[in-house]
Amino acid sequence: MPKFGAHRTSDVSDAPEERSEVAALMPMVRRIVGARVSDRAAADDLVQETLVRVLAAADRVQPGMLEPYAIRTARNLIASGWKEQDRHKRNQHRLVDLRPPAAPDEEMLQREEHDAIAQALAHLSDQERQTLLAHEVSGQDTRSLALEQGSTAGAVAAELNRTRARLRVEYLLALEGTEPPTDRCRPVLRALSSGDRRRQREVGADLHVLECAMCARLSEPLIRRGQQREDEVRIRITADGDIVLARQGARELADRIGFSRTDLTVIATAVSELARNIVRFAGEGEIFVELIEMPRCGVRVVARDAGPGIADVEQALADGFSTYHGLGLGLPGARRLMDEFTVDSEMGRGTTVTMTKWRQKG
Amino acid sequence: MSIGPALVSILRQGSYLIASIHTALDDSQMIRFQEDLIEQIGQHRSRGVIIDVAALDVLDSFGSRTLRNIAEMARLRGALTVIVGIQPEVAFAMVELGMGTGSVFTALDLEEGLAYLSSRVSSSSALST
Repeated sequence: MPKFGAHRTSDVSDAPEERSEVAALMPMVRRIVGARVSDRAAADDLVQETLVRVLAAADRVQPGMLEPYAIRTARNLIASGWKEQDRHKRNQHRLVDLRPPAAPDEEMLQREEHDAIAQALAHLSDQERQTLLAHEVSGQDTRSLALEQGSTAGAVAAELNRTRARLRVEYLLALEGTEPPTDRCRPVLRALSSGDRRRQREVGADLHVLECAMCARLSEPLIRRGQQREDEVRIRITADGDIVLARQGARELADRIGFSRTDLTVIATAVSELARNIVRFAGEGEIFVELIEMPRCGVRVVARDAGPGIADVEQALADGFSTYHGLGLGLPGARRLMDEFTVDSEMGRGTTVTMTKWRQKG
Repeated sequence: MSIGPALVSILRQGSYLIASIHTALDDSQMIRFQEDLIEQIGQHRSRGVIIDVAALDVLDSFGSRTLRNIAEMARLRGALTVIVGIQPEVAFAMVELGMGTGSVFTALDLEEGLAYLSSRVSSSSALST
């Protein structure tokens, strides 16, 4: 690594005495960054960045002041990195799409199951097939597709999503080599495939999946789509039983980074309260749990629903306030259990609760 | 619900019922447990109930409230309830959450729970006779 650093700096300046002076700062910069940033790769990047900046400024800095300048630069870089990351995390939920993300293994499966795909493609209309192939295979962007069709880029993207959802369903049906037993199966599977909650309610997807054995089997991969990452877990909350799944999922994930047994129970309890709120007030929603490393190790839980929203968040956070026959401990209790806690709620749009527990040192 | 191992067991031991929860219960399973237990108190004319919650991963607001309700209902049906086996980390989380078991008596384990019941139940029945 030091070799690489020396090489990088030589790109910036050719003055040999400056170069050696800056290279001498390297162990110290490395120590400063290492003490604050646990991730090796990120720390190396910051060290490099610091040295490059110091070198660029070397002729402007008073002699003998190079070392404090390097320290300041390193600290600033670390701080701005954290700030940016924190801002990103705080705003992340605004960008969230409740639909599950597209599966990265789609392409591989396309190759492997060529026949099934061809068969599935045959089920699409000519227009749908052309648009999909132009976008996915030829790489034509949605804007130019929209121009051709006299539509908007957003509409084309939505159309593409629907087509993909249909394609997934047809693909699964082709793999099974059967036709669905009832007229309702296709609409239900498509709604599940697209992750469109409203459409799922319209076609009564939940009930149908319970009744129809084939849809129950086929819907599993459609619903599970996008749950591949190791450091996060997403649990759909629709009924009592999901509360237990959510808190166990959170506990298992948090256990991986060495939370104490007490903290694991604390996290599980807080997740349990939020999941119950979802079931009680919104009917359905999801709990998303992720491990975080910056600025410290911890676990972040995001509970969101598209329910009625909370009219008065201050009141809901006060002890003993309860709108159902409970003790009113859900939100305030969860807040006491966790280290950070924010509620974002909009009437008629839903509620997002974000809470974080940091891992204690040692 | 009928498939798989039993989630709870309610065993009769003399004039006591020993109810053990074997795994994490969801809300409706908790309510069913409550109903079963109250019914069996009447069936067996039990004077005391021990609820063993050692296997519960979490006692959140709903779980704690249900246990309190069970104890109160059992009291109204003439039985004394002792909750045993609350794990240390569960106890910690309950206190942080702002929950407790209220006036319900608790004991460390089954043995302590039985000892408490026999001291209380025999003395009160001795008084009444």
